[in-house]
Amino acid sequence: MPDAPPHRTTLSAYGTAPPAASARRRVAATWVLWLAVLVAATALMLVVRPRLDKAHVSLAFLVVVLGGSAAGGRALGLSLAVLAFLLFNFLFLPPFHTLTIANPLDWLVLAAFLVTSVVATQLLNRAQERAEAARQRAVEMERLAALGAETLNAGRAEEALVAIAEVMRSALGVRECEVLVPRATPSGLTSLVRVAAGGGVRDGAVDDARPWSLAAWVAEKRQVAAERADGTKWIGGADGSDGHLQWPPGTTEVVTLLIPLMVRDRTVGVLRMADVMPFTLDPSREQFLSALSYYAALGVERVALSAEAERAEALREADTLKTALIAGLSHDLRTPLTTIKAAANALRQRGSEEAVAIEEEADRLNRLVADLLDLSRLNAGAMPLRLEINAVDDLVGAAIRRVAGALGGREVVVTTASDTLGSGGGRPLLVGRFDLVESLRALVNLIENAAKYGPPAAPIELTVGHDGRMIRVVVGDRGPGVAPAERERIFEPFYRAPGVPPDVGGAGLGLAIARRLAVEQGGDVSYAPRPGGGSLFALTLPATDDVVPNDTSPSAADRPTS
Amino acid sequence: MRPGGPSQPTPLETDERTVLVIEDDPGVRRVVRDVLREEVSAVFEADAGEKGLTVAAAERPSLIVLDLGLPDLDGIEVCRRIRTWSSVPIIVLSARHSEDEKTALLDAGADDYVTKPFGPAELRARVRAQLRRARMAPLPGGDGPLTVGDLVIDVARRTVTRQGTTVHLTPTEWGLLSALVTNAGRTITHRQLFHAVWGSAHGDAQQYLRVYVAHLRRKIERDPYAPRHIVTEPGVGYRFEPDA
Repeated sequence: MPDAPPHRTTLSAYGTAPPAASARRRVAATWVLWLAVLVAATALMLVVRPRLDKAHVSLAFLVVVLGGSAAGGRALGLSLAVLAFLLFNFLFLPPFHTLTIANPLDWLVLAAFLVTSVVATQLLNRAQERAEAARQRAVEMERLAALGAETLNAGRAEEALVAIAEVMRSALGVRECEVLVPRATPSGLTSLVRVAAGGGVRDGAVDDARPWSLAAWVAEKRQVAAERADGTKWIGGADGSDGHLQWPPGTTEVVTLLIPLMVRDRTVGVLRMADVMPFTLDPSREQFLSALSYYAALGVERVALSAEAERAEALREADTLKTALIAGLSHDLRTPLTTIKAAANALRQRGSEEAVAIEEEADRLNRLVADLLDLSRLNAGAMPLRLEINAVDDLVGAAIRRVAGALGGREVVVTTASDTLGSGGGRPLLVGRFDLVESLRALVNLIENAAKYGPPAAPIELTVGHDGRMIRVVVGDRGPGVAPAERERIFEPFYRAPGVPPDVGGAGLGLAIARRLAVEQGGDVSYAPRPGGGSLFALTLPATDDVVPNDTSPSAADRPTS
Repeated sequence: MRPGGPSQPTPLETDERTVLVIEDDPGVRRVVRDVLREEVSAVFEADAGEKGLTVAAAERPSLIVLDLGLPDLDGIEVCRRIRTWSSVPIIVLSARHSEDEKTALLDAGADDYVTKPFGPAELRARVRAQLRRARMAPLPGGDGPLTVGDLVIDVARRTVTRQGTTVHLTPTEWGLLSALVTNAGRTITHRQLFHAVWGSAHGDAQQYLRVYVAHLRRKIERDPYAPRHIVTEPGVGYRFEPDA
């Protein structure tokens, strides 16, 4: 079959064991043939008996015995030896046609003939058996080698598993071989691949509702089990985790054989071989089956790993797509938001109350879009930062300016921490090395958060200070504060404190984004309860040791602190 | 039937103020038109870059509002090509562009930018500032002291007084202030500011530029956390606002 895939061609060359009936016919024919040869040789010698010596007769019989032994095995050889012994005595040792012997020395000849025939038959057969075993092993080696190549060559992991299953099936000469793997089915197992005599191949898991109770037992106990034709079961006694399985004795006729598949002490599946006709397991194949079931176990493992890799790849692609989608959406949302805002503004000029709500909601939507953009940017990893020497004045000033519109006239008070004030009460210029744009975003989020949760009349208080190697901006509000159990969770994306009405604020991203932006720059955002009620959110950023070269000769109070 | 299509050139009149809007989204175009109707006598519109360049050359508008996300041309390219023959003020509308891109735009010759979604008041204020700046150039300080809020800046005598008290500025601070005042109402990038003061594109002092500005701000602003004149454009540069 020239069009078949290579591995199928290779597998079909293994062939199957000959059917039992024809084998028996062949054995009978051999016996008949060699008995006929014995009779013919005897008849020929009878014709020329007067001219024959005892040595001639014994040599002729020996040739026949060895010939029969070589062709038909030990049983035929020994039978021929005994028959030849009797014929020798009866027809060729005087007195003829009796089993008595006249000359006592003839006993020696007869005994020598018998011993020689039996020993020669035994030796010949043993040599033949060794040759046969060697041939068998050569075939097995060839199969294993072919299998190794197949499994390395297989494009899909399932194809390698099919190759292994087919080799095992043909080696045992059974009708079908199946690999069962753990799945969330009622029995806990499902069929992953199946090969059957005549080329029936299925690779890929199916919805399998068959009750694999014995197979599940095999998987759990890691022992070989078999089922006889009458429905009774044979189970092995040895746990297979050390690599030694106990196999059913060669005399046990079974219709199903179940072998646990193990990789590094883990059961990855069960191999099932079945036939409608009972079969026996030749003890000489146990080693071979053990090796192959390890191959099969590795094959199952590979299927699982490649499925996992595919899943990871799919997740990665989904992530890229999501990021691109969010960026595109953000852009496409902002253009119509501009139009909506402008239209609402025009309506408000004409005295519409609802227009105010439209404008506010447009702004809220815009903030949400910005949050989503930031989150996707942070999740994409490797955020480009521009760490530059910046003054905290710039950070705080820009933050206040940015939130001014959204605070509805609420006051923001900035003070300098008492431990940071100069000796004369001067406010030192705090300088750090950070990305102004990202830090601004973090601080704006903290201020907006304070505005959301604090009482509308109370001002939002900012305290600027430094703390060893870090500069610090603390945002204080007089809101309800945060319960101890919630103090870390508030920094998780989309987290909302219990009891917060859904119309307060955005999607619960502000604090999460603020912290992550700060951490990216070597800083942090932390929470502390505020004495007297409320919350304190501290943004810390790395200070800088760089001495600013100065032609400005500023007063002592103006000199950078760090 | 007049030849030459619908955009018949109008006679150029120096006191007539016109605006060209280059923007592909018709909704945003209408918003800009509505905002500017009271400010200018005519609003021209173009929905693509090449068309915008053609109209700009034909109409010679007093101001151009340019969208960055045009279907045919990069906004920076449009800016650069207008700058080869005109110093007309350009205000850029941007939706998702990073600070780096805004900086590149300003370096390419744009005068200011407004981020979408913007309020009409914001756009109107920016347009007014640019139109005024275009009219009053060059720097009026050459003639006499410039009064900005409670500051009096005398460029000729190189002195600054705040509420009658002399403010002592170092040479660097003076350089920064005069560069900012010269470009009042316009966002000036870090690079442009550095170049204006130090006369080169790069130098060791560049990394301390923000610290120098912070020192200057502390000297001339009443509250450095709520600056009224030296406004920070995060990640881009600074803008001097004279009328606060």
